[in-house]
Amino acid sequence: MAERHRYPKSPMTYLLRVIVIVYLVLLVVWPVALVVTNTFENGGEALRSIIEDPDMMAALRLTAVAAVVATAINTVFGVSMSLLLVRNEFPGKRVVSSLLDLPLSVSPIVVGLALVLVYGGRNGWLGPTLESWGFQVIFSTPGIIMATAFVSLPLVIREVVPVLEELGIEQEQAAQSLGASGAQTFWRVTLPSIKWAVIYGVVLTLARSLGEFGAVKVVSGNVLGETRTATLAVEEKYLNFDQQGAYAIAFLLASVSVVAILVVFLLRAREDRRERSLS
Amino acid sequence: MSIDITGVSKSYGDFVALENINLSLPKGQLTALLGPSGGGKTTLLRIIAGLESPDGGSVVIEGKDATRLPVQKRNVGFVFQHYAAFKHLSVARNVAFGLEIRKRPKAEIAERVDELLQLVHLSQFSHRLPAQLSGGQRQRMALARALAVEPTVLLLDEPFGALDAKVRKELRDWLRRLHDEVHVTTVFVTHDQEEALEVADEIVVINDGRVEQVGTPDQLYDEPANDFVMSFLGEVTRLHGHLIRPHDIEVSATPVGGGVPGSVTRVLRIGFEVRATVTTEEGDVTVVMTRTHARTVGLEQGAQVWLTAVAGATMVAPLTVG
Repeated sequence: MAERHRYPKSPMTYLLRVIVIVYLVLLVVWPVALVVTNTFENGGEALRSIIEDPDMMAALRLTAVAAVVATAINTVFGVSMSLLLVRNEFPGKRVVSSLLDLPLSVSPIVVGLALVLVYGGRNGWLGPTLESWGFQVIFSTPGIIMATAFVSLPLVIREVVPVLEELGIEQEQAAQSLGASGAQTFWRVTLPSIKWAVIYGVVLTLARSLGEFGAVKVVSGNVLGETRTATLAVEEKYLNFDQQGAYAIAFLLASVSVVAILVVFLLRAREDRRERSLS
Repeated sequence: MSIDITGVSKSYGDFVALENINLSLPKGQLTALLGPSGGGKTTLLRIIAGLESPDGGSVVIEGKDATRLPVQKRNVGFVFQHYAAFKHLSVARNVAFGLEIRKRPKAEIAERVDELLQLVHLSQFSHRLPAQLSGGQRQRMALARALAVEPTVLLLDEPFGALDAKVRKELRDWLRRLHDEVHVTTVFVTHDQEEALEVADEIVVINDGRVEQVGTPDQLYDEPANDFVMSFLGEVTRLHGHLIRPHDIEVSATPVGGGVPGSVTRVLRIGFEVRATVTTEEGDVTVVMTRTHARTVGLEQGAQVWLTAVAGATMVAPLTVG
């Protein structure tokens, strides 16, 4: 274990701490706390009305489905892509690597419009063909999943790649020299070694997917009870002066992300403790 | 023969790592691949293991052509310089890895792991994680892990290179004793000539991608094939234009026939040993002798001495002038 070195505390240390805390409170803690207090202004009334509204439940369900499916796709794709990038040399590797950052740098609205250009049912490049086979992408769940997957694409990769690089290939070669096949090496050696990176990537992807708004707004069509996701419902309620309802949904969305991060934090702490207790 | 290497070559771009290597290693022997870093010895070891594929030539292990065989199918044990321990598995699970892959019954695995951990003196650490072991212990664990699958050959890549001098010496003795017990054909790579001379039955000196000489430690030390082998295996100096070991020079305080006259310009005592520089007309010559002997001869700064080679001294004419 690395020793922890501490700098001697100076007035500067305290000044920096105050700046960080003030910044975080003004930007994150206070606004989020207000969402919570506004939600529970009338006790559980706002939440109850959301849960009793079938359209809102449909919106929450759609968001959950889109986020889970997009996260699953991006996890499998992200881990394979990371292995490809770190363990192989191929022409155009740098181009691929920078393309993977595109979803983070392009505005989600642009992503949505781009998807419509390709998969749009009437004028899209591929859309009419798919539609003639009875498969509607835009204004339907597949489009919502695609848009969500697009915007959260690099998150798993960016977590896993540095860990894979740090890991090196010796453990994998050792496993192979002991007779392990490629698949056995992956499941028994590589995956356990990058476990935490994958888990963090999944949590980030899930949180990002739950909150996606812009791209989904373009491709979903925003049909109440069918293609309206939770984030779109927040906007709708807010614009219709139902601020209580908007805060309640926002609260639900935020809690899922917070709970996911908290669970990972606790799991990690427990594993660290177990490892330490062995020595 | 356990390992037969014929015409093996390997290049990385313009760099020739190995050039037409031919080598036969007998069964049950402990062989050292010795040479300076970048000389190609690790590449050769990795080609034998199947971690690297040769550009040309063939590798035959126990009569079976293994040239195109992937590493999984070669049944070799490989030990890495930096241990390559599976960090997420306990010591016992590390050792059991190869047996689990081979789907051996649980009871058999447990028994074999116990046996191996005893052999490498790690029984009391079986539940620890590799991070909780010292470097020497980790390397012993890696060795047990490689031995668990009963490999036809055991390959070690600078196995003690990452350890400090004392642990290194201990593990060296221990490897020799282990080999006498287990008798598996073993090849290890090292750049430390002392390690090779002390541990190996046979030494293969590799330099610049070529085999310079193959022989027992005695053969290599007493009959070096060329100036490279001579100077790589121990300290050398020049007398009569030949390479000679400093302890093979006789120093006399009175003129002797054929002796090279010179004056002592520097005397350095290291423990029981005395090293002196004698300036002659041919240049500086280093001599080494015991302290007692130095006193008898009267070896001190400024003394006039005559140098001759002792009878039976190993001398090699340098091929490269310079």
